[in-house]
Amino acid sequence: MSDSVIEISGLRKTFRDFWFRPVAEAVNGIDLTVERGDVFGLLGPNGSGKSTTIKMILGLLTPTSGTVRLFGLSPRSHAARARLGYLPELSYLHPFLTAKETVLYYAGLSELDGRTAKARADELLEQVGLKEQANRAVGGFSKGMARRVAFASALVSRPELLILDEPTSGLDPIGTREVKELIGRLSADGMTILVTSHQLFDMQDVCSRVAILSHGKVVGGGRVANIVEAAADKRHALEDYFVSRLQSSGAVQRVGSET
Amino acid sequence: MKQSFLLAWRALVRGHVLTLLLVATALAHLLLPALVRSDGTAEGWREMFVRAVPGTTYAFTVIAILACACGFFAQERERFRLSLTVVRPASAVGVAFGKWLALCLVGVLVYSFTAVLTLVHVPDPPPCMHHFAPTLPSPVEKAREMMDEYLANPKTPEFVKKAPRSAVLRLLTNKELDRYDVVRSGESISWPFDASLENATNMLVRVRFATQFDLRSPLEGVFTLGGFSAVVSNKTQSVVNVPLKRGEKVERVERVEKVEGLELKFTNTGKELVMLRPRRDLEVLVPADSFGMNLARAVVQMLVVTALLSAFGLFLSSALSRPVAVFTSLVTVAVALMAPSVVIQFPDEVETTLSNKIGLLITRTVYALTSTAGEMEPVSALATDSCIEWGELLKCTLVSGVLLPLLLLGATAFIVRRKPLADHS
Repeated sequence: MSDSVIEISGLRKTFRDFWFRPVAEAVNGIDLTVERGDVFGLLGPNGSGKSTTIKMILGLLTPTSGTVRLFGLSPRSHAARARLGYLPELSYLHPFLTAKETVLYYAGLSELDGRTAKARADELLEQVGLKEQANRAVGGFSKGMARRVAFASALVSRPELLILDEPTSGLDPIGTREVKELIGRLSADGMTILVTSHQLFDMQDVCSRVAILSHGKVVGGGRVANIVEAAADKRHALEDYFVSRLQSSGAVQRVGSET
Repeated sequence: MKQSFLLAWRALVRGHVLTLLLVATALAHLLLPALVRSDGTAEGWREMFVRAVPGTTYAFTVIAILACACGFFAQERERFRLSLTVVRPASAVGVAFGKWLALCLVGVLVYSFTAVLTLVHVPDPPPCMHHFAPTLPSPVEKAREMMDEYLANPKTPEFVKKAPRSAVLRLLTNKELDRYDVVRSGESISWPFDASLENATNMLVRVRFATQFDLRSPLEGVFTLGGFSAVVSNKTQSVVNVPLKRGEKVERVERVEKVEGLELKFTNTGKELVMLRPRRDLEVLVPADSFGMNLARAVVQMLVVTALLSAFGLFLSSALSRPVAVFTSLVTVAVALMAPSVVIQFPDEVETTLSNKIGLLITRTVYALTSTAGEMEPVSALATDSCIEWGELLKCTLVSGVLLPLLLLGATAFIVRRKPLADHS
């Protein structure tokens, strides 16, 4: 059995208008492999194609060309979806449900039986620090609290692959640290994680491998340990590497060169 | 499916949709009876009450549930929640089915509440009645016969012979439906009726003069059916109910047309001729079961319509945005309501321009798709004490309450799975 959890080859996505005229080439030939146990960071500036790539990995968008395989299967197959957890960039919760009902709802959609779902919901809400607020409607939650509920919902089915789109978005520094610790724990338990973020410090701490996207193409990447080892400034290793890859791809100009 | 049902149910309850519908129903039962004006008879008041109160409740409940159905998938997609559902392994059919069941449950509760309040408001209602129409050959059959005669007749103008067969048939069918039987003073006429009426012990003949033109004529004469007979003398009412009584045999008068089986005979003893459309104006009524039972069947019919429209709303919401889905569904319902009269009144000759052709094609298509559901008129049946027949109820339930909703939910699930669920960012 292959150890690749995600295999992407020649992936392209062209958005078209009503008359089928191309309006944006969001992804322009990406090849990627995410191995089992990786914490893989998909990095890039706004509009680089990260979200579109993730949506094709999730089966929410159909690629214009190329293929995406999850566990060797189509992303739309039942078997692939059963092994997947997803945390979107915004929490998108149903405001009239309580925190516990929200987690139970996604547990039900993940085909967990009632008793297991209830136990898992209690366990996760305790883990994300919302045990006391479990029976409050999420419509009244702060952005950070809603984020925790969404995190618990993504984890409820004990997925083998967790896709996190900007997981620290809207969180305060303590919340961000908790998320990083959680990612570390999940990774230590053997979960494969694909994560996108603009917080390069955080990515350097949690990711084992990264790929840098620009204009829908992979312009750099590799093992984070190797990137850090090769860098002069270890603390900003990933940030420096990120900027250098974007500069060499022409996505950004060298600082100070615009005059 | 269970989770989807619970989600939709909580949305309907916590979004106060159910509460508002129940309160509106209670208010309708509290306020509208004071506004009902009738002809002074208990029967007239009951008819007006049923049309005004349960009828209003039915109308606003259907529209509210349809509007909710149109929003379910559309709003989830617009607020990016649907993507979180479809990345889970749950079946899309189950998700659609769960939402549909929640909408139907709201219908069950509101209509049951209406039924209970209606029973409280209507004291000592009479039993509902089976309606028997004359057992004449089908209008299409008669139309074909007429057409063959027209075509064989050398005097028939060429343009009629060259006209499209379907158009001529439609015209002749409508002509047959509206055909008048004329009974001159002192003459008799007979119409065939179902032989099972022979065993009935309590019957009445209902004659209507309810056309769009006021063709009401004085009705004076004798009705005879088997061993039953009744004398009628009416000069004012547009609907005449003539209870038949077992009595002396009325003297045989010459028949206009020989009929087989049981026959209803009318002898015109008045001075003026009587014109009746046997297919539209004449019925024999036999008591069926209680008003309560008929009300229960009417509630089932209301639910069937609600179930069909809910499934249609969900289907539209899977593909369109909420405002577009609501607009499309309401236009479709309006076209479906108008379609029968449009289809009858506008034969093919009108289709001379492209816009007319397109309009009539759309109307006829909607009519063909909705005619089974459109046949159900629960409020009208209840108001006129017409028994909703079990066979008719079963057919409508299977076709419009089960089969069509399942097809629509299957299509909904397909679209939910296939439609791209991402913004372009």
